[in-house]
Amino acid sequence: MTRRRVLVWGGLAVLVVGTLAWAAWPSSGATTPASRASELATELRCPDCEALSVADSDSTSAEAIRADLLRRTKAGESDAEIRQVYIDRYGESILLKPTSNGLGLIVWVLPVVALALAAVGLALAFAKWRRQPRLEATDADEALVQRARAG
Amino acid sequence: MKHPARWAALGVAVVVGSLAVVLASQVSTNPQAAEQQSRLVGQTVPTFTVHTFDGQTLSSRSLAGKAVLVNFWNSWCIPCQQELPSLKMFAAEHAGDPSVVLLGILRDDTVGAARPYAQAEGISWPLADDPSAALSLDFGTRGQPETYAISPGGLVVGSEYGPASVKNLDTLLAAAQSHP
Repeated sequence: MTRRRVLVWGGLAVLVVGTLAWAAWPSSGATTPASRASELATELRCPDCEALSVADSDSTSAEAIRADLLRRTKAGESDAEIRQVYIDRYGESILLKPTSNGLGLIVWVLPVVALALAAVGLALAFAKWRRQPRLEATDADEALVQRARAG
Repeated sequence: MKHPARWAALGVAVVVGSLAVVLASQVSTNPQAAEQQSRLVGQTVPTFTVHTFDGQTLSSRSLAGKAVLVNFWNSWCIPCQQELPSLKMFAAEHAGDPSVVLLGILRDDTVGAARPYAQAEGISWPLADDPSAALSLDFGTRGQPETYAISPGGLVVGSEYGPASVKNLDTLLAAAQSHP
């Protein structure tokens, strides 16, 4: 492998790993009780609604949950503890984001597996194409083209 | 490997197929609606104190020793109105039994709207407000009507989502009474 190719592939690898790390890294910069409560409100499903988060709903339940989240974050409960309180009351379905265990794991793992398989497939295809002999035009081919172009 | 591209395509097909099966089994139903019973069943009743429309104060403590059915309702929901005849019948059946309590908790409604409705309908059992929806939240309610059975020992022993029939209410009461 030439030095240039190593650099290109290395750069690409760094870009991909960096992007994945950036996407997977917890984005929560929430540090104050109010911002933590707001962040948690986006993760919880409004119990009265079909597909709205507690943060997006104006229902009485959503309002009560927002107030409860704020009270709990102010009391020093961790995000995990608060999530667990709601899971205990409503079940896993209260979480808008699937958990990363049990069946929920499949939702996270399958796209990664699909991407990995696609990457392997592409790599194999590129390798195969590289091994194939390059076709050069013969004199007969050139003559054929000349005749066709001359009309 | 003789045909790597075919193997890759097969792998992708397996992954996509699996994803489709997972999505088909999960998306077609509302996961919240799929749960038929409250998570609270089997747990100790949340501690509460409520004030009834007629000025009484009732609490989980004052109701200890009785079989209690807590019914979350409101004046505007049609299923609550459909449930009302069953509740009336149940309340009438147990009117003379001090060991049985039917308690209505207002959910997503105002006392101003519910009180005249209750008077017009002749509701005889105690009705209480839940102004900050704290009790509704503690019970993990998802809507109304919902009914919870609490044993004399303070254990939640059953729940009913949606309008309950007299038979449902009797079953809940029997569950409450069969627990210490």
